[in-house]
Amino acid sequence: MSTIDAHAALSRRSRRAWLAQITLVPLVLVSIWEIWAVLANDPRAPAPTRVIETFIDLVAHGGLILATLQSLGRVVSGFCIALLIGVVLGVLMGSIRWVRNLLDPIVESFRPIAPMAILPIAILWFGTGTPAALSIVAYAAFFPLLLNTVHGVGNVDRKLVLAARTMGVPRWRILTNVVLPASLPSVLLGARLAMGVAWTAIIAAELGVGAKSGGGGSGGIGAMMFVFYAYNIDLNAIVVCMIVVGFVALLIDRLFRLAERRLMPWRI
Amino acid sequence: MGAMAINVTTSHSRQGAATNLPGRAGQTPAAAQNAPTPSRVAAHRLQRLAATRLFMTLCSFVLFFGLWQLAAASVDNRVLLPSPAQVAGALYQLGVEGEIFEQALVSTTRLAISLLIAVVLAIPLGFAMGLNERLNAYLDPFIELLRPISGIAWIPLALFIFGVGDALPVFIMVYVAFFPLLLNTVAGVRSVDPKLVNAARTMGVKRAPMLLHVLAPAALPMIMVGFRLAFAGAWSAIIAAELIGSPNGLGFAIEWYRELLMSPKVFAFILVIGVVGYLCDLLLRALQRVLTPWTEGTELA
Repeated sequence: MSTIDAHAALSRRSRRAWLAQITLVPLVLVSIWEIWAVLANDPRAPAPTRVIETFIDLVAHGGLILATLQSLGRVVSGFCIALLIGVVLGVLMGSIRWVRNLLDPIVESFRPIAPMAILPIAILWFGTGTPAALSIVAYAAFFPLLLNTVHGVGNVDRKLVLAARTMGVPRWRILTNVVLPASLPSVLLGARLAMGVAWTAIIAAELGVGAKSGGGGSGGIGAMMFVFYAYNIDLNAIVVCMIVVGFVALLIDRLFRLAERRLMPWRI
Repeated sequence: MGAMAINVTTSHSRQGAATNLPGRAGQTPAAAQNAPTPSRVAAHRLQRLAATRLFMTLCSFVLFFGLWQLAAASVDNRVLLPSPAQVAGALYQLGVEGEIFEQALVSTTRLAISLLIAVVLAIPLGFAMGLNERLNAYLDPFIELLRPISGIAWIPLALFIFGVGDALPVFIMVYVAFFPLLLNTVAGVRSVDPKLVNAARTMGVKRAPMLLHVLAPAALPMIMVGFRLAFAGAWSAIIAAELIGSPNGLGFAIEWYRELLMSPKVFAFILVIGVVGYLCDLLLRALQRVLTPWTEGTELA
Protein backbone atom coordinates (compact mmCIF):
# COMPACT_ATOMS: atom_id res chain seq x y z
CA MET A 1 0.00 0.00 0.00
CA SER A 2 2.78 2.41 0.93
CA THR A 3 4.59 1.80 -2.35
CA ILE A 4 1.39 2.52 -4.26
CA ASP A 5 1.00 5.72 -2.28
CA ALA A 6 4.58 6.67 -3.04
CA HIS A 7 4.10 6.07 -6.75
CA ALA A 8 0.92 8.10 -6.73
CA ALA A 9 2.77 10.88 -4.97
CA LEU A 10 5.53 10.70 -7.56
CA SER A 11 3.14 11.01 -10.45
CA ARG A 12 1.40 13.95 -8.82
CA ARG A 13 4.43 16.00 -7.93
CA SER A 14 7.86 16.19 -9.40
CA ARG A 15 10.53 13.99 -7.92
CA ARG A 16 12.48 16.95 -6.60
CA ALA A 17 9.53 18.31 -4.66
CA TRP A 18 9.01 14.89 -3.17
CA LEU A 19 12.65 14.69 -2.10
CA ALA A 20 12.41 18.13 -0.52
CA GLN A 21 9.31 17.01 1.31
CA ILE A 22 10.76 13.89 2.87
CA THR A 23 14.02 15.57 3.92
CA LEU A 24 12.55 18.84 5.22
CA VAL A 25 11.48 17.80 8.73
CA PRO A 26 14.55 15.65 9.48
CA LEU A 27 16.85 18.42 8.21
CA VAL A 28 15.14 21.10 10.30
CA LEU A 29 15.30 18.94 13.42
CA VAL A 30 18.95 18.02 12.87
CA SER A 31 19.78 21.72 12.40
CA ILE A 32 17.99 22.62 15.64
CA TRP A 33 19.92 19.85 17.36
CA GLU A 34 23.25 21.19 16.01
CA ILE A 35 22.41 24.77 17.07
CA TRP A 36 21.37 23.55 20.51
CA ALA A 37 24.69 21.70 20.90
CA VAL A 38 26.68 24.79 19.87
CA LEU A 39 24.72 26.96 22.30
CA ALA A 40 25.09 24.40 25.09
CA ASN A 41 28.84 24.90 24.75
CA ASP A 42 29.61 21.57 26.38
CA PRO A 43 32.08 19.32 24.58
CA ARG A 44 30.17 16.27 25.80
CA ALA A 45 26.82 17.37 24.34
CA PRO A 46 26.01 15.25 21.31
CA ALA A 47 25.79 17.14 18.04
CA PRO A 48 25.21 15.86 14.49
CA THR A 49 28.70 16.89 13.34
CA ARG A 50 30.35 15.25 16.34
CA VAL A 51 28.22 12.15 15.84
CA ILE A 52 29.52 11.87 12.26
CA GLU A 53 33.10 12.38 13.46
CA THR A 54 32.66 9.74 16.14
CA PHE A 55 31.12 7.38 13.62
CA ILE A 56 34.10 7.68 11.26
CA ASP A 57 36.42 7.27 14.21
CA LEU A 58 34.67 4.15 15.51
CA VAL A 59 34.51 2.57 12.07
CA ALA A 60 38.18 3.31 11.40
CA HIS A 61 39.01 1.81 14.78
CA GLY A 62 37.14 -1.34 13.78
CA GLY A 63 35.39 -1.65 17.12
CA LEU A 64 31.96 -0.68 15.89
CA ILE A 65 31.89 -3.08 12.96
CA LEU A 66 33.22 -5.91 15.10
CA ALA A 67 30.61 -5.31 17.80
CA THR A 68 27.80 -5.11 15.25
CA LEU A 69 28.92 -8.32 13.59
CA GLN A 70 29.14 -10.04 16.96
CA SER A 71 25.58 -9.00 17.81
CA LEU A 72 24.36 -10.03 14.37
CA GLY A 73 26.05 -13.41 14.72
CA ARG A 74 24.26 -13.99 18.01
CA VAL A 75 20.94 -12.91 16.52
CA VAL A 76 21.33 -15.25 13.56
CA SER A 77 22.30 -18.25 15.71
CA GLY A 78 19.54 -17.57 18.23
CA PHE A 79 17.10 -17.13 15.38
CA CYS A 80 18.15 -20.46 13.82
CA ILE A 81 17.55 -22.28 17.11
CA ALA A 82 14.12 -20.68 17.39
CA LEU A 83 13.39 -21.43 13.73
CA LEU A 84 14.16 -25.11 14.17
CA ILE A 85 12.15 -25.56 17.36
CA GLY A 86 9.38 -23.16 16.39
CA VAL A 87 8.69 -24.59 12.94
CA VAL A 88 8.88 -28.26 13.98
CA LEU A 89 6.63 -27.65 16.98
CA GLY A 90 4.42 -25.37 14.91
CA VAL A 91 3.87 -28.02 12.24
CA LEU A 92 3.04 -30.59 14.93
CA MET A 93 0.66 -28.24 16.72
CA GLY A 94 -0.90 -27.06 13.48
CA SER A 95 -1.60 -30.51 12.08
CA ILE A 96 -2.34 -32.66 15.15
CA ARG A 97 -5.18 -31.39 17.26
CA TRP A 98 -4.35 -33.06 20.58
CA VAL A 99 -0.77 -31.77 20.45
CA ARG A 100 -2.14 -28.29 19.92
CA ASN A 101 -4.65 -28.58 22.77
CA LEU A 102 -1.94 -29.94 25.03
CA LEU A 103 0.76 -27.35 24.32
CA ASP A 104 -1.36 -24.26 23.68
CA PRO A 105 -1.96 -23.44 27.38
CA ILE A 106 1.78 -23.66 28.13
CA VAL A 107 2.68 -21.45 25.18
CA GLU A 108 0.02 -18.91 26.09
CA SER A 109 1.24 -18.84 29.69
CA PHE A 110 4.78 -18.03 28.63
CA ARG A 111 3.85 -15.45 26.02
CA PRO A 112 3.26 -12.51 28.40
CA ILE A 113 6.68 -13.15 30.01
CA ALA A 114 9.00 -10.65 28.34
CA PRO A 115 12.32 -11.95 26.94
CA MET A 116 14.23 -9.74 29.38
CA ALA A 117 12.49 -11.44 32.30
CA ILE A 118 14.44 -14.57 31.31
CA LEU A 119 17.74 -12.73 31.68
CA PRO A 120 18.29 -13.49 35.40
CA ILE A 121 17.74 -17.21 34.76
CA ALA A 122 19.98 -17.08 31.69
CA ILE A 123 22.75 -15.47 33.75
CA LEU A 124 22.29 -18.07 36.52
CA TRP A 125 22.49 -20.95 34.06
CA PHE A 126 24.96 -19.76 31.44
CA GLY A 127 26.91 -16.94 33.05
CA THR A 128 27.36 -13.59 31.33
CA GLY A 129 28.72 -14.76 27.98
CA THR A 130 27.29 -15.50 24.57
CA PRO A 131 25.04 -18.45 25.59
CA ALA A 132 23.00 -16.23 27.93
CA ALA A 133 22.40 -13.68 25.16
CA LEU A 134 21.65 -16.48 22.68
CA SER A 135 19.00 -18.04 24.89
CA ILE A 136 17.18 -14.72 25.26
CA VAL A 137 17.24 -14.16 21.50
CA ALA A 138 15.95 -17.68 20.86
CA TYR A 139 13.19 -17.23 23.46
CA ALA A 140 12.12 -13.91 21.92
CA ALA A 141 12.13 -15.24 18.34
CA PHE A 142 10.39 -18.48 19.26
CA PHE A 143 6.86 -17.11 19.79
CA PRO A 144 6.25 -15.29 16.50
CA LEU A 145 7.73 -18.25 14.61
CA LEU A 146 5.64 -20.83 16.45
CA LEU A 147 2.35 -18.92 16.40
CA ASN A 148 2.59 -18.03 12.72
CA THR A 149 3.57 -21.57 11.74
CA VAL A 150 0.62 -22.98 13.70
CA HIS A 151 -1.65 -20.45 12.03
CA GLY A 152 -0.26 -21.20 8.57
CA VAL A 153 -0.40 -24.99 8.89
CA GLY A 154 -3.83 -24.86 10.53
CA ASN A 155 -5.26 -22.73 7.72
CA VAL A 156 -4.03 -24.77 4.77
CA ASP A 157 -6.96 -25.37 2.43
CA ARG A 158 -8.32 -28.79 3.46
CA LYS A 159 -9.31 -29.52 -0.13
CA LEU A 160 -5.64 -29.55 -1.14
CA VAL A 161 -4.78 -32.07 1.57
CA LEU A 162 -7.82 -34.25 0.77
CA ALA A 163 -7.03 -34.14 -2.94
CA ALA A 164 -3.46 -35.26 -2.30
CA ARG A 165 -4.70 -38.02 0.01
CA THR A 166 -7.22 -39.19 -2.58
CA MET A 167 -4.42 -39.52 -5.08
CA GLY A 168 -2.55 -41.73 -2.65
CA VAL A 169 0.23 -39.35 -1.71
CA PRO A 170 1.98 -40.62 1.46
CA ARG A 171 1.62 -38.53 4.65
CA TRP A 172 5.23 -37.36 4.69
CA ARG A 173 5.05 -36.15 1.10
CA ILE A 174 1.76 -34.34 1.81
CA LEU A 175 3.59 -32.48 4.55
CA THR A 176 6.60 -31.50 2.45
CA ASN A 177 4.85 -30.91 -0.88
CA VAL A 178 1.43 -29.58 0.12
CA VAL A 179 1.26 -28.31 3.68
CA LEU A 180 4.64 -26.60 3.95
CA PRO A 181 4.45 -24.65 0.66
CA ALA A 182 0.88 -23.62 1.45
CA SER A 183 1.86 -22.31 4.87
CA LEU A 184 5.06 -20.62 3.67
CA PRO A 185 3.57 -17.09 3.65
CA SER A 186 2.69 -17.38 7.34
CA VAL A 187 6.04 -18.89 8.27
CA LEU A 188 7.92 -16.13 6.45
CA LEU A 189 5.82 -13.47 8.12
CA GLY A 190 6.63 -15.12 11.44
CA ALA A 191 10.32 -15.16 10.51
CA ARG A 192 10.32 -11.43 9.74
CA LEU A 193 8.56 -10.57 13.00
CA ALA A 194 10.86 -12.95 14.90
CA MET A 195 13.99 -11.40 13.44
CA GLY A 196 12.71 -7.95 14.46
CA VAL A 197 12.12 -8.91 18.08
CA ALA A 198 15.36 -10.92 18.10
CA TRP A 199 17.36 -7.82 17.17
CA THR A 200 15.67 -5.82 19.93
CA ALA A 201 16.22 -8.67 22.36
CA ILE A 202 19.96 -8.92 21.66
CA ILE A 203 20.41 -5.20 22.39
CA ALA A 204 18.46 -5.61 25.62
CA ALA A 205 20.36 -8.75 26.59
CA GLU A 206 23.79 -7.25 25.89
CA LEU A 207 22.86 -4.06 27.71
CA GLY A 208 21.57 -6.02 30.67
CA VAL A 209 24.49 -8.42 30.78
CA GLY A 210 26.88 -5.48 30.39
CA ALA A 211 25.15 -3.56 33.17
CA LYS A 212 25.06 -6.50 35.55
CA SER A 213 28.47 -8.01 34.89
CA GLY A 214 30.10 -4.62 35.37
CA GLY A 215 32.14 -3.94 32.28
CA GLY A 216 30.42 -5.55 29.34
CA GLY A 217 32.81 -8.46 29.01
CA SER A 218 30.39 -10.21 26.66
CA GLY A 219 30.80 -7.79 23.75
CA GLY A 220 28.31 -6.83 21.11
CA ILE A 221 26.84 -3.46 20.25
CA GLY A 222 24.53 -3.41 23.29
CA ALA A 223 27.45 -3.91 25.66
CA MET A 224 29.41 -1.30 23.70
CA MET A 225 26.63 1.23 24.35
CA PHE A 226 26.68 0.46 28.03
CA VAL A 227 30.45 0.92 28.21
CA PHE A 228 30.09 4.29 26.49
CA TYR A 229 27.47 5.25 29.06
CA ALA A 230 29.07 3.91 32.23
CA TYR A 231 32.81 4.35 31.63
CA ASN A 232 33.55 6.80 28.83
CA ILE A 233 30.39 8.94 29.15
CA ASP A 234 30.63 9.50 25.39
CA LEU A 235 27.13 10.55 24.33
CA ASN A 236 28.12 10.97 20.69
CA ALA A 237 29.23 7.35 20.59
CA ILE A 238 25.95 6.26 22.20
CA VAL A 239 24.02 8.10 19.49
CA VAL A 240 26.20 6.46 16.83
CA CYS A 241 25.34 3.05 18.29
CA MET A 242 21.63 3.92 18.36
CA ILE A 243 21.71 4.89 14.69
CA VAL A 244 23.54 1.69 13.80
CA VAL A 245 20.95 -0.32 15.77
CA GLY A 246 18.15 1.38 13.86
CA PHE A 247 19.90 0.94 10.54
CA VAL A 248 20.45 -2.78 11.08
CA ALA A 249 16.81 -3.19 12.13
CA LEU A 250 15.71 -1.48 8.92
CA LEU A 251 18.08 -3.60 6.85
CA ILE A 252 16.82 -6.85 8.39
CA ASP A 253 13.21 -5.85 7.75
CA ARG A 254 13.89 -4.95 4.11
CA LEU A 255 15.86 -8.17 3.52
CA PHE A 256 13.00 -10.30 4.80
CA ARG A 257 10.44 -8.38 2.75
CA LEU A 258 12.63 -8.95 -0.32
CA ALA A 259 12.86 -12.65 0.50
CA GLU A 260 9.07 -12.80 0.84
CA ARG A 261 8.68 -11.27 -2.63
CA ARG A 262 11.31 -13.56 -4.17
CA LEU A 263 10.04 -16.77 -2.59
CA MET A 264 6.38 -16.03 -3.16
CA PRO A 265 6.09 -14.10 -6.42
CA TRP A 266 2.43 -15.15 -6.67
CA ARG A 267 1.54 -12.98 -3.68
CA ILE A 268 3.10 -9.80 -5.16
CA MET B 1 -13.45 -30.27 38.83
CA GLY B 2 -11.09 -32.44 36.84
CA ALA B 3 -13.30 -35.51 37.32
CA MET B 4 -16.34 -33.58 36.18
CA ALA B 5 -14.55 -32.49 33.05
CA ILE B 6 -13.65 -36.09 32.24
CA ASN B 7 -17.28 -37.23 32.81
CA VAL B 8 -18.63 -34.61 30.49
CA THR B 9 -16.08 -35.53 27.88
CA THR B 10 -16.90 -39.23 27.87
CA SER B 11 -20.69 -38.93 27.89
CA HIS B 12 -20.65 -36.51 25.02
CA SER B 13 -17.95 -38.18 23.05
CA ARG B 14 -20.06 -41.36 22.91
CA GLN B 15 -22.92 -39.42 21.43
CA GLY B 16 -20.45 -37.60 19.20
CA ALA B 17 -19.14 -40.90 17.92
CA ALA B 18 -22.66 -41.99 17.03
CA THR B 19 -23.53 -38.84 15.16
CA ASN B 20 -20.21 -38.58 13.47
CA LEU B 21 -19.89 -42.04 11.98
CA PRO B 22 -19.52 -40.98 8.35
CA GLY B 23 -16.43 -39.01 9.31
CA ARG B 24 -15.61 -35.42 9.98
CA ALA B 25 -16.67 -34.16 6.59
CA GLY B 26 -20.19 -35.62 6.82
CA GLN B 27 -21.67 -33.81 9.81
CA THR B 28 -24.73 -32.43 8.08
CA PRO B 29 -26.46 -35.63 7.01
CA ALA B 30 -25.73 -37.30 10.35
CA ALA B 31 -27.09 -34.35 12.25
CA ALA B 32 -30.27 -34.39 10.19
CA GLN B 33 -30.88 -38.08 10.96
CA ASN B 34 -30.16 -38.28 14.67
CA ALA B 35 -30.76 -34.93 16.29
CA PRO B 36 -34.02 -33.07 16.71
CA THR B 37 -32.55 -29.67 15.85
CA PRO B 38 -29.22 -28.75 14.32
CA SER B 39 -28.73 -26.02 16.92
CA ARG B 40 -28.89 -28.60 19.72
CA VAL B 41 -26.25 -30.66 18.01
CA ALA B 42 -24.14 -27.57 17.59
CA ALA B 43 -24.59 -26.76 21.27
CA HIS B 44 -23.57 -30.29 22.25
CA ARG B 45 -20.53 -30.14 20.02
CA LEU B 46 -19.53 -26.82 21.50
CA GLN B 47 -19.99 -28.13 25.02
CA ARG B 48 -17.93 -31.21 24.24
CA LEU B 49 -15.25 -29.09 22.66
CA ALA B 50 -15.09 -26.83 25.72
CA ALA B 51 -14.87 -29.86 28.01
CA THR B 52 -12.06 -31.36 25.95
CA ARG B 53 -10.26 -28.04 26.04
CA LEU B 54 -10.54 -27.87 29.81
CA PHE B 55 -9.32 -31.42 30.20
CA MET B 56 -6.38 -30.86 27.84
CA THR B 57 -5.49 -27.61 29.64
CA LEU B 58 -5.34 -29.52 32.91
CA CYS B 59 -3.18 -32.21 31.27
CA SER B 60 -1.01 -29.45 29.90
CA PHE B 61 -0.29 -27.94 33.29
CA VAL B 62 0.16 -31.33 34.94
CA LEU B 63 2.71 -32.15 32.22
CA PHE B 64 4.50 -28.83 32.65
CA PHE B 65 4.75 -28.94 36.42
CA GLY B 66 5.60 -32.66 36.33
CA LEU B 67 8.53 -32.05 33.96
CA TRP B 68 9.66 -29.06 36.03
CA GLN B 69 9.53 -31.14 39.22
CA LEU B 70 11.50 -33.96 37.57
CA ALA B 71 14.12 -31.55 36.23
CA ALA B 72 14.41 -29.83 39.60
CA ALA B 73 14.79 -33.17 41.37
CA SER B 74 17.55 -34.27 39.02
CA VAL B 75 19.41 -30.93 39.14
CA ASP B 76 18.88 -30.80 42.90
CA ASN B 77 20.17 -27.26 43.23
CA ARG B 78 17.97 -24.62 44.81
CA VAL B 79 19.87 -21.80 43.12
CA LEU B 80 19.97 -23.19 39.59
CA LEU B 81 16.49 -24.66 39.40
CA PRO B 82 14.13 -24.40 42.38
CA SER B 83 11.27 -26.90 42.45
CA PRO B 84 7.64 -25.80 41.92
CA ALA B 85 7.03 -26.23 45.65
CA GLN B 86 9.94 -23.95 46.55
CA VAL B 87 8.70 -21.31 44.10
CA ALA B 88 5.18 -21.62 45.50
CA GLY B 89 6.66 -21.14 48.99
CA ALA B 90 8.52 -18.02 47.85
CA LEU B 91 5.38 -16.76 46.16
CA TYR B 92 3.38 -17.27 49.35
CA GLN B 93 6.00 -15.55 51.48
CA LEU B 94 6.27 -12.58 49.09
CA GLY B 95 2.49 -12.39 48.97
CA VAL B 96 2.11 -12.38 52.76
CA GLU B 97 4.81 -9.74 53.13
CA GLY B 98 3.05 -7.77 50.41
CA GLU B 99 6.18 -7.25 48.32
CA ILE B 100 4.61 -8.78 45.22
CA PHE B 101 1.71 -6.34 45.30
CA GLU B 102 4.05 -3.42 45.99
CA GLN B 103 6.31 -4.13 43.01
CA ALA B 104 3.42 -5.04 40.72
CA LEU B 105 1.69 -1.80 41.66
CA VAL B 106 4.85 0.20 40.90
CA SER B 107 5.20 -1.41 37.48
CA THR B 108 1.52 -1.22 36.50
CA THR B 109 1.32 2.42 37.62
CA ARG B 110 4.27 3.25 35.38
CA LEU B 111 2.66 1.27 32.59
CA ALA B 112 -0.65 3.12 32.96
CA ILE B 113 1.01 6.55 33.07
CA SER B 114 3.14 5.76 30.02
CA LEU B 115 0.21 4.46 27.99
CA LEU B 116 -1.82 7.54 28.95
CA ILE B 117 0.98 9.88 27.82
CA ALA B 118 1.41 7.91 24.59
CA VAL B 119 -2.34 8.08 23.90
CA VAL B 120 -2.43 11.84 24.53
CA LEU B 121 0.53 12.37 22.18
CA ALA B 122 -0.15 9.82 19.45
CA ILE B 123 -3.91 9.89 18.88
CA PRO B 124 -4.38 13.64 18.18
CA LEU B 125 -1.28 13.60 15.97
CA GLY B 126 -2.58 10.46 14.27
CA PHE B 127 -5.91 12.16 13.53
CA ALA B 128 -4.13 15.24 12.20
CA MET B 129 -1.86 13.13 9.98
CA GLY B 130 -4.73 10.94 8.84
CA LEU B 131 -6.88 13.91 7.84
CA ASN B 132 -4.17 16.18 6.45
CA GLU B 133 -2.34 14.57 3.54
CA ARG B 134 0.38 17.26 3.48
CA LEU B 135 1.18 17.00 7.18
CA ASN B 136 1.42 13.24 6.77
CA ALA B 137 3.80 13.61 3.80
CA TYR B 138 6.12 15.83 5.85
CA LEU B 139 6.08 13.92 9.14
CA ASP B 140 5.95 10.34 7.93
CA PRO B 141 9.59 10.14 6.67
CA PHE B 142 10.85 11.41 10.02
CA ILE B 143 8.76 8.87 11.91
CA GLU B 144 9.94 6.06 9.67
CA LEU B 145 13.52 7.20 10.33
CA LEU B 146 13.05 7.06 14.09
CA ARG B 147 10.89 3.93 14.32
CA PRO B 148 13.56 1.27 13.62
CA ILE B 149 15.53 2.47 16.68
CA SER B 150 14.02 0.26 19.36
CA GLY B 151 13.09 1.69 22.74
CA ILE B 152 15.69 -0.53 24.38
CA ALA B 153 18.46 1.23 22.42
CA TRP B 154 17.42 4.50 24.08
CA ILE B 155 18.18 3.14 27.57
CA PRO B 156 21.85 4.27 27.82
CA LEU B 157 21.07 7.80 26.63
CA ALA B 158 17.95 7.94 28.83
CA LEU B 159 20.06 6.76 31.79
CA PHE B 160 22.31 9.74 31.25
CA ILE B 161 19.43 12.21 30.84
CA PHE B 162 17.01 10.96 33.50
CA GLY B 163 19.18 8.90 35.82
CA VAL B 164 17.90 5.86 37.67
CA GLY B 165 14.27 6.29 38.71
CA ASP B 166 10.68 6.62 37.53
CA ALA B 167 11.34 8.83 34.51
CA LEU B 168 13.53 6.33 32.65
CA PRO B 169 11.05 3.43 32.34
CA VAL B 170 8.21 5.85 31.62
CA PHE B 171 10.18 7.53 28.83
CA ILE B 172 11.14 4.19 27.26
CA MET B 173 7.56 2.92 27.42
CA VAL B 174 6.07 6.10 25.96
CA TYR B 175 8.55 5.86 23.10
CA VAL B 176 7.72 2.19 22.48
CA ALA B 177 3.94 2.69 22.72
CA PHE B 178 3.90 5.83 20.58
CA PHE B 179 4.59 4.26 17.17
CA PRO B 180 1.97 1.50 16.98
CA LEU B 181 -0.65 3.91 18.38
CA LEU B 182 0.23 6.63 15.88
CA LEU B 183 0.46 4.39 12.83
CA ASN B 184 -2.79 2.57 13.64
CA THR B 185 -4.60 5.85 14.27
CA VAL B 186 -3.42 7.21 10.90
CA ALA B 187 -4.45 3.98 9.17
CA GLY B 188 -7.77 3.95 11.05
CA VAL B 189 -8.64 7.52 10.11
CA ARG B 190 -7.66 6.93 6.49
CA SER B 191 -9.73 3.75 6.27
CA VAL B 192 -12.95 5.57 7.21
CA ASP B 193 -15.46 5.12 4.40
CA PRO B 194 -15.63 8.49 2.56
CA LYS B 195 -19.33 7.85 1.95
CA LEU B 196 -19.93 8.18 5.70
CA VAL B 197 -18.12 11.50 5.83
CA ASN B 198 -19.89 12.78 2.72
CA ALA B 199 -23.28 11.69 4.00
CA ALA B 200 -22.69 13.48 7.29
CA ARG B 201 -21.46 16.56 5.46
CA THR B 202 -24.54 16.55 3.23
CA MET B 203 -26.67 16.56 6.34
CA GLY B 204 -24.82 19.61 7.58
CA VAL B 205 -22.74 18.03 10.34
CA LYS B 206 -20.12 20.49 11.64
CA ARG B 207 -16.41 19.76 12.08
CA ALA B 208 -16.33 18.89 15.78
CA PRO B 209 -19.34 16.53 15.76
CA MET B 210 -17.97 14.98 12.56
CA LEU B 211 -14.74 14.17 14.39
CA LEU B 212 -16.50 12.90 17.49
CA HIS B 213 -19.45 11.00 16.01
CA VAL B 214 -18.28 9.91 12.56
CA LEU B 215 -14.49 9.69 12.33
CA ALA B 216 -13.64 8.59 15.87
CA PRO B 217 -16.04 5.61 16.04
CA ALA B 218 -15.05 4.47 12.56
CA ALA B 219 -11.33 4.65 13.36
CA LEU B 220 -11.71 3.16 16.85
CA PRO B 221 -11.24 -0.54 15.94
CA MET B 222 -7.84 0.15 14.38
CA ILE B 223 -6.87 2.39 17.28
CA MET B 224 -7.74 -0.37 19.73
CA VAL B 225 -5.55 -2.81 17.80
CA GLY B 226 -2.77 -0.21 18.01
CA PHE B 227 -3.38 0.15 21.72
CA ARG B 228 -2.98 -3.57 22.31
CA LEU B 229 0.24 -3.62 20.28
CA ALA B 230 1.43 -0.59 22.25
CA PHE B 231 0.69 -2.40 25.50
CA ALA B 232 2.54 -5.53 24.39
CA GLY B 233 5.61 -3.51 23.40
CA ALA B 234 5.54 -1.44 26.57
CA TRP B 235 5.14 -4.48 28.82
CA SER B 236 8.18 -6.06 27.21
CA ALA B 237 10.19 -2.83 27.43
CA ILE B 238 9.38 -2.08 31.07
CA ILE B 239 11.13 -5.25 32.22
CA ALA B 240 14.34 -4.25 30.41
CA ALA B 241 14.09 -0.62 31.54
CA GLU B 242 13.46 -1.51 35.19
CA LEU B 243 16.08 -4.23 35.20
CA ILE B 244 18.78 -1.80 34.06
CA GLY B 245 17.65 1.57 35.33
CA SER B 246 15.18 1.49 38.19
CA PRO B 247 15.38 1.04 41.96
CA ASN B 248 12.05 -0.83 42.10
CA GLY B 249 9.38 -2.58 40.05
CA LEU B 250 9.01 -6.14 38.75
CA GLY B 251 11.96 -5.89 36.34
CA PHE B 252 14.19 -4.68 39.16
CA ALA B 253 12.98 -7.41 41.54
CA ILE B 254 13.96 -10.36 39.32
CA GLU B 255 17.52 -9.08 38.93
CA TRP B 256 17.81 -8.04 42.58
CA TYR B 257 16.97 -11.53 43.82
CA ARG B 258 19.21 -13.08 41.14
CA GLU B 259 22.12 -11.11 42.58
CA LEU B 260 21.19 -12.40 46.05
CA LEU B 261 21.01 -15.92 44.53
CA MET B 262 17.47 -16.29 45.88
CA SER B 263 16.23 -18.19 42.84
CA PRO B 264 12.79 -19.20 44.17
CA LYS B 265 11.98 -15.51 44.47
CA VAL B 266 13.34 -14.83 40.95
CA PHE B 267 11.04 -17.51 39.55
CA ALA B 268 8.14 -16.24 41.65
CA PHE B 269 8.54 -12.74 40.26
CA ILE B 270 8.85 -14.03 36.69
CA LEU B 271 5.56 -15.83 37.28
CA VAL B 272 4.04 -12.56 38.52
CA ILE B 273 5.28 -10.77 35.37
CA GLY B 274 3.47 -13.36 33.27
CA VAL B 275 0.27 -13.20 35.30
CA VAL B 276 0.14 -9.38 35.39
CA GLY B 277 0.83 -9.22 31.64
CA TYR B 278 -1.89 -11.77 30.99
CA LEU B 279 -4.41 -9.94 33.19
CA CYS B 280 -3.68 -6.61 31.50
CA ASP B 281 -4.21 -8.20 28.09
CA LEU B 282 -7.48 -9.70 29.31
CA LEU B 283 -8.55 -6.24 30.47
CA LEU B 284 -7.69 -4.75 27.08
CA ARG B 285 -9.63 -7.47 25.27
CA ALA B 286 -12.65 -6.71 27.48
CA LEU B 287 -12.22 -3.00 26.75
CA GLN B 288 -12.06 -3.79 23.05
CA ARG B 289 -15.30 -5.78 23.29
CA VAL B 290 -17.07 -2.98 25.15
CA LEU B 291 -15.83 -0.14 22.94
CA THR B 292 -16.00 -1.88 19.56
CA PRO B 293 -18.43 -4.78 19.92
CA TRP B 294 -19.02 -4.84 16.14
CA THR B 295 -15.49 -6.04 15.40
CA GLU B 296 -15.81 -9.25 17.41
CA GLY B 297 -14.31 -12.24 15.64
CA THR B 298 -12.00 -10.24 13.41
CA GLU B 299 -9.11 -10.73 15.77
CA LEU B 300 -5.66 -9.68 14.59
CA ALA B 301 -3.09 -11.98 16.13
